Amino acid sequence: MSNEQNSNREKARAIRARQRVIGRELRRMYDGVAQEPVPDDFSDLLKKLDAKQGSGGSGSTSQ
Amino acid sequence: MTVPHHTSMQQHSHNPGSGGGSGDFKTDLLALIPFLRAFARSLCGNPEMADDLAQEALVKAWQARDSFVAGTNLKAWLFTILRNQFYSDRRRSWRQAPWDQDAAERIPGGSQDQNWSAELSDTARALRALTDEQREALILVGAGGFSYEDAARICNCAVGTVKSRVARARKALIAILDGDEKLPAADRPAEGEAAREIMAQLDRLAPEGSKKPE
Repeated sequence: MSNEQNSNREKARAIRARQRVIGRELRRMYDGVAQEPVPDDFSDLLKKLDAKQGSGGSGSTSQ
Repeated sequence: MTVPHHTSMQQHSHNPGSGGGSGDFKTDLLALIPFLRAFARSLCGNPEMADDLAQEALVKAWQARDSFVAGTNLKAWLFTILRNQFYSDRRRSWRQAPWDQDAAERIPGGSQDQNWSAELSDTARALRALTDEQREALILVGAGGFSYEDAARICNCAVGTVKSRVARARKALIAILDGDEKLPAADRPAEGEAAREIMAQLDRLAPEGSKKPE
């Protein structure tokens, strides 16, 4: 009986350890992308959007 | 011209007419782009498609910027837009375009090598086997650092639902990875060397007729 409890505890511990490894791996993948240099397309896009708003006045006219 | 419907509320929170606010918003968006890309990559796997998706989301976010309530979680707001965009794009591409088949085939199986990062990891491959719902929940909570509450808001479901999706995703990943590991235990040259060495010793020890004692 206590043997069974022990092995259950072992199993639970093994699963937690496994999950920690997986968690670390997930963060590594996610952070890996987040740390990549952002392609210029993105800042160009924002610049374009910002400029359009400035000249075109898309939307809110001042009240 | 294309002002989104939900613009009406919270106009005052963030006035695009007065330069300063818009500049801050733009700066904040810029700072979040790396994370937006990471979340996009986790959703669609393919890096080019992910960047397209992230840019679409950025445009949507910019158009809807008046509906963002200053002081709330911009990252969660942005991720919500990206996620909605992902699912609506996909619904559209499923409904039409037989030529999309090609792209669709590339998503789940194929050459996943550089999808997440340069090296192909088992976890990256196993992630593909999860359901979309499990994957996004696990990424948001397990990698993105979102609370269950924020993840629930992003995924538009109950907190309890996110919790159970994350739990099921973890369980499924372990099952997949353990299953994988039982397959080929990669033939390492070093192991081959060692085995040959042992066999040679056994040969030397074993008497002529009876090889393989035991």
